[in-house]
Amino acid sequence: MRRIFYLVGQNLKRKPFRTWLTVGAVALACAVLFSAAILSRGIHVTLRTAAERLGADIVAVPASAGEDALSALISGNPTSFYMPASLEDAVRKVPGVRQTCAQVYLRSLDAACCVAPVALVGYDQERDFTITPWVLRKMAEPLRNDQIIVGAKVISAVVGTPAKAIGQRLMFMGKPFTVASILEPTGLGTDYTVFLTMETAYQMIQGSPLYTVPVKRDQISTILVKVAEGANPTEVSGNIEKQLPQIKTYTPGALMRSFSGQLQSLVDALFTAGVLFGILAAALTGTLFTLSVRQRMREIGLFMAMGAGRGLIFRLIVLEAACLAVSGGLLGVIVGWAATRFSRETITEMIGNMYMWPDTAYFIQVAVLTAAATTAVGILGALYPAGRISRIEPYEAVRKGE
Amino acid sequence: MIRLEALGKRYKNVEVLNRVSLTVDDGAFVIITGRSGGGKTTLLSIAGALTRPDEGSVCIDEVDILQLPEPELAALRNRKIGFVFQFPSLIAPLTVLDNVLLPVAFSDRNPNHADRDFAESLLEQVGITGKNALYPSQLSGGQQRRVAIARAMMNRPSIILADEPTGDLDETTEAEIMNLFQGINHRGTTVVMVTHALDYAGLGRAYVLKNGGLLPYAGSALAPEASAQGGNALAPAVSAQGEVL
Repeated sequence: MRRIFYLVGQNLKRKPFRTWLTVGAVALACAVLFSAAILSRGIHVTLRTAAERLGADIVAVPASAGEDALSALISGNPTSFYMPASLEDAVRKVPGVRQTCAQVYLRSLDAACCVAPVALVGYDQERDFTITPWVLRKMAEPLRNDQIIVGAKVISAVVGTPAKAIGQRLMFMGKPFTVASILEPTGLGTDYTVFLTMETAYQMIQGSPLYTVPVKRDQISTILVKVAEGANPTEVSGNIEKQLPQIKTYTPGALMRSFSGQLQSLVDALFTAGVLFGILAAALTGTLFTLSVRQRMREIGLFMAMGAGRGLIFRLIVLEAACLAVSGGLLGVIVGWAATRFSRETITEMIGNMYMWPDTAYFIQVAVLTAAATTAVGILGALYPAGRISRIEPYEAVRKGE
Repeated sequence: MIRLEALGKRYKNVEVLNRVSLTVDDGAFVIITGRSGGGKTTLLSIAGALTRPDEGSVCIDEVDILQLPEPELAALRNRKIGFVFQFPSLIAPLTVLDNVLLPVAFSDRNPNHADRDFAESLLEQVGITGKNALYPSQLSGGQQRRVAIARAMMNRPSIILADEPTGDLDETTEAEIMNLFQGINHRGTTVVMVTHALDYAGLGRAYVLKNGGLLPYAGSALAPEASAQGGNALAPAVSAQGEVL
């Protein structure tokens, strides 16, 4: 068997162009599939984490807020939209609703104060079920009006350094605040959000020159809803919209899907390309091996004359294809990994810091699976010519090769 | 012993062999000659289990090889038969030594040190020394043929089948190669050779293949023409001892 490997190696060295062409085709298919799988997984992880992190079964926003609401809810982009606070009571009365909590978004700051834009959100401490469960250090007392809870990246966004100190003083809209706690990192817009008491939020709105039309204390931006046990969030969501047409509702899943639609199209395109390249690689391997087998007909006839059985000839050709396919698969994984690595920043920017990359274990799993799949494709391409040549009579092979 | 009985072979509408019979005793040297395209290589290939006849039987050491399953047939080719072809038959990407060791690689084991030593001694016997690490393209035609002979001997076969092994060589090299075959035969190996080099017909028993029939070589190329009259149905079966059976 060792000598068979040697024979395969020598033959591959003899035809460098064919060898590299096959390796390249398999590598391309593998790299595209690898990238698609990683991106797809990233989207899945992001959606799941975002849904978990949101902590609410339904998010209700003013129907007029449109895309601004999506952008604020997911990416934490500074924006503002308001609706009467009385709607929270109305929502609470909808069958299936167990708990509600209001938040108010501040039309936020420009970059003058901060290294990166941050969103300011006032939240109802008494009813909250979406912020306090995620703080890194539990607070012994309720948040005071001069205190804030900040997302994991707020401090570095404001002061430009990756400091992460509770008790640090930060200025927003000319008002000093003390960081009371920091939220766990999520990779989502929450990482760039500052949470204040409702009272402070209304005070800041009233004192801000950004608001030409004053926002009253009976206005809120979002209503976060928890449904009763056994209730279907989609049904409850529909009921809320039916009873309160001035409200638009989102379930976390639908929210994430609508936001990541564009990226999903990219992943779909990559998967399609990967499958097409895979078919192409199989066809190319098949063609190249058919040509190779024709060129080596006499050599194969000689092998048979020397006692190589049909099985051995078949294995020789398939082993050769396997060597090329494995090399292509490994190269493809490296290229795919590099491609996803270098495009990481771009993708993250494309979707507003919300994208979460899969963990190392998943990278390894995908690397093994895509390399195995493309190796199988390469071998598949060589099966037909290998099967055909192994069935030929030695004398015929020698004659045809002359 | 090789026993070919009533072999028939057609390629499309051309009858190449018509009820050809031949018995080659162990240790015999048989030369088969005839016109190009006359079926000599086909006959040799059938004797060496490289192709199957349309009819007839082929026995090697009393075993009907046409009844053997393919793996056993491959093993038989590997252990009992050494082939020397009319064309340059060395494997280009392998060195001289690796070419000689190939038949071992196709057996059920990997070559060991003893195989390597034996391969080197075979190369010495055929006059190739100090060239073990060279590639076939670095050898002359005569040297390549010598290496091919060494390779054919690698698994110590009892039968060597040589198909015009001196076809494209000059007279001096041809004589050297024929001497090699003679030496191999003297050591007890059966040699069946297809050749146009009738000067060497005296090395053993010679036959002419003509119009699908096999006849004893009568010392002149024209002799078989006369003998072939009456059609191949009359083609006699002959033994390697020169007797019409």
